[in-house]
Amino acid sequence: MSKTVIEVKDLFKVYEGPVPVKAVNGISLTIKEGEFTALKGPSGCGKTTLLNMLGGLDYPTSGSILVGGNDITSLGENELIDFRLRNIGFVFQAYNLIPVLSATENVSFIMLLQNRPKEEREDRARQLLQSVGLTGKEDKRPGELSGGQQQRVAVARALASKPQFVLADEPTANLDSESTANLLDIMLKLNKEEGMTFVFATHDDRVINRARRVVAISDGKVVSDLSK
Amino acid sequence: MLKLAWRNIWRNKGRSAITIAAVMFCVIFAVVLRSFQIGVWENMTHEIVANNFGYLQLHQKGFWADQTLDNSLELASVNEQIFLDHPDVKGLIPRIESFSLVSTGEGTKGTLVMGIDPQRELPGLQLDQFLVQGSTFAPDDKSVVVAEGLAKFFNLSIGDTLLFIGQGYHGASAYGRYPVVGIARMRNPELNKQLVLMPFKEAQFMYNCVGRATTLVVDLEEGASYKQVNQELLAAIGLSALELLSWEQLFPEIIQTIEADMAGGQIFISILYVIISFVLLGTVIMMVAERQREFGILVSIGMRKSKLAMVTVMENLILTMGGALLGMAIVKPVQFYFKYNPIDLSGQMREAVERFNFEPKLHTTTSFMININHGSIIFLIGSLVSLYAVWKIMTLNPVKSMRS
Ligand SMILES: Nc1ncnc2c1ncn2[C@@H]1O[C@H](COP(=O)(O)OP(=O)(O)OP(=O)(O)O)[C@@H](O)[C@H]1O
Ligand SMILES: [Mg+2]
Repeated sequence: MSKTVIEVKDLFKVYEGPVPVKAVNGISLTIKEGEFTALKGPSGCGKTTLLNMLGGLDYPTSGSILVGGNDITSLGENELIDFRLRNIGFVFQAYNLIPVLSATENVSFIMLLQNRPKEEREDRARQLLQSVGLTGKEDKRPGELSGGQQQRVAVARALASKPQFVLADEPTANLDSESTANLLDIMLKLNKEEGMTFVFATHDDRVINRARRVVAISDGKVVSDLSK
Repeated sequence: MLKLAWRNIWRNKGRSAITIAAVMFCVIFAVVLRSFQIGVWENMTHEIVANNFGYLQLHQKGFWADQTLDNSLELASVNEQIFLDHPDVKGLIPRIESFSLVSTGEGTKGTLVMGIDPQRELPGLQLDQFLVQGSTFAPDDKSVVVAEGLAKFFNLSIGDTLLFIGQGYHGASAYGRYPVVGIARMRNPELNKQLVLMPFKEAQFMYNCVGRATTLVVDLEEGASYKQVNQELLAAIGLSALELLSWEQLFPEIIQTIEADMAGGQIFISILYVIISFVLLGTVIMMVAERQREFGILVSIGMRKSKLAMVTVMENLILTMGGALLGMAIVKPVQFYFKYNPIDLSGQMREAVERFNFEPKLHTTTSFMININHGSIIFLIGSLVSLYAVWKIMTLNPVKSMRS
């Protein structure tokens, strides 16, 4: 019985406006350690909104999000930033990286924010870049890397902080099939070897097919939850 | 973190170049403008004060307010040694300044009479430098040198005789007849119209004030601080019957004119600063807009906003500091060049300036304080402007900024 990493209860997010949008409309969900989960659903169903709230980037209108037993919805801004730094790895759709830093520097930057010693930063960055298959590209800037390579650096960076889980919002949306397959191989490998928990928001079948758990969302609600 | 700021500078070279160039040109422009303005005044006051009136003058108390011979001082009552003991004092130059009616066969005119010893005088009254005709007088001579304008008025030539009628010390009459030995061109147009110079001794004699002088100019060493000397002398002599006045006290109207002119220049420079503020603000707005997404990502992955703001401000400060230092350095030789190679005025400007007795040349000052002042003002503006970035970062919503 593996440990619970995220526990979402009765989560609502309403965007006020002339016509209020219930982007997340009563979701309860439990993510366990070591899962490789895809949140799928049509455009506008609320995947990003949900993921942002799981990542502490956005506050829900109501409901709770427990990470390691602590409710993150009650944290203040700086607490939340520090929380993200310690607990969550992020991979966004594109342009994740700081353009003026090399691949290695992008990966070590997050460890610098964590005040890790220099040696550890350099060792871990090299090791992570190696495990995402970027040996030899350590000193390249993002502009000199392909989209797929950039996403792999982003994955390396997400893992560098030793987070409890990695959130990835459409990480493959801008990638061709080969890069997508490659990125998924790497993430699955990290998931298996290091037991890292991954949660994706995606409508990319190439991702959904390889996920071990697929949560389908429609109009802000969970409509199916299948584990393979 | 410093590395990140440094790398960011090189990232948008255009923006960095604009910032540095704007700051640099602003510093250069402000400093050049100010240097000329101050330089011209420095030169003018030097001309008037150092060459003619002296930085410090000693009188009988009350003389400056009521300039009559009755308020002249007794030379024996002044302990000259106290002055000579001061390392910055070269000596005391006695003068008698009074008025007389002067007539020739042609007519009569009120004139200003100065009894001086040209050999001991300040550069502006070393007559041999200014003679247009004839020669100067020796201390014991009984002859006069007439200013050019006055000579023209009387249609004088060398050898003509002038008749003086005036009032001497304690109501005595002051008569005299003296031959003209020289005609001098005085720089000051007012003086040039009405000045007659005679040997100091002869003036004492004519005005019935032997042993007295109206003014003792304190002749200072080059580069001495007259303010400091003034204070030290005042302390040393504990003036009771005398007054020791600095040129600022003697000619407050010069100070007022300078201040008014400076204020005018200040307005111009303020406008320059406003323009530069907008240019700098523009570059900061550009930067913030350009990095919206990146800021969002940095905050998302766990960088505190305060830290991010610090890095961003640092980047801007490096740029403005660089521009300011560069400007301060570049302008230095310019200041020196124009100090020693002043711009020659031409046309109307030249006439106007010459009419007021000044050299028709634009000098600069080389005082480095101006560079420091303007450099730091602009640096300050740069810092203030980067507060825009701070504000934008502190109110940043990572989700929104990443969606853009
Ligand atoms: N800041 C916002 N203000 C108002 N409405 C919003 C905001 N953000 C999202 N929405 C709305 O909330 C709903 C869910 O949006 P969300 O971005 O979560 O969808 P999604 O499933 O990620 O879609 P996609 O697959 O296109 O990324 C949409 O109807 C969207 O228009
Ligand atoms: Mg989305």
